[in-house]
Amino acid sequence: MSMLISIKPEEYDFFVRINEEKDIVIARQMVKDIAKKLGFSLADITKISTVVSELARNIYRYVGEGFIYIRERKEGKDVYIELVAYDRGPGIEDIDLAITGGFTTTKGSLGLGLSGVRRLMDEFSIKSEVGKGTLVIVAKRRRSF
Amino acid sequence: MQERVVPIIKIYDCLVVPIQIELDDTTVEKIQKQILSEIENNDVKGVIIDVSMVDIIDSYISYTLSETATMARMMGCYTVLCGIQPQVALTLAQMGVNIKGIYYAMNLENALEILAGIEE
Repeated sequence: MSMLISIKPEEYDFFVRINEEKDIVIARQMVKDIAKKLGFSLADITKISTVVSELARNIYRYVGEGFIYIRERKEGKDVYIELVAYDRGPGIEDIDLAITGGFTTTKGSLGLGLSGVRRLMDEFSIKSEVGKGTLVIVAKRRRSF
Repeated sequence: MQERVVPIIKIYDCLVVPIQIELDDTTVEKIQKQILSEIENNDVKGVIIDVSMVDIIDSYISYTLSETATMARMMGCYTVLCGIQPQVALTLAQMGVNIKGIYYAMNLENALEILAGIEE
């Protein structure tokens, strides 16, 4: 049991189990509604939903089953939406390579998944252990206009 | 018989494909197949894909659209993507997505003008 790659589900507001292709759409629709509720701008809602689409697809394509966890996080006056993609899959051997744009292990994608996710969010962290699983945590701060 | 997931409207020598449904991976693949078979069955020189109702275009959807444009070009057709929402354009540009081999237009009218302006 790796303590490195685990989260406490009870600390999150929502979660979606990803184990079929339709779940990708469910996850992104759900996050869209949550980001809207938290008062994010339309541009940020679109970015956040796109990020979930990429993370959920990674789970579905490379692992087959995993979870997306969502919560609101407050830091002083700032409000963040935090998204976690968690799976107990094969893990990523070379993380640096995986987050470099253009890298892909399956045909039929631009390989922009993780690098794109990193560019769209304010915070990005990834932990992965071969044979244990992968944990991607991203967050975006709500901007006031 | 090819499964139809979106309406495809033939107007002069163009096909207009309005996408007004939620795009999951299977749906976007079916749209690609449907567009290619409609190109085969109609004598057209252009395909206009209207995405003004599409809220989210992620890397896989954009890859498939780009691939569709390449395939259409091989069959002698030009592809115009029209009506990308500003927040979708922002997201794609920030992700670093570049949909290759495709023309862009603000709206359907603009897309028809672009195709009319292409000299074979």
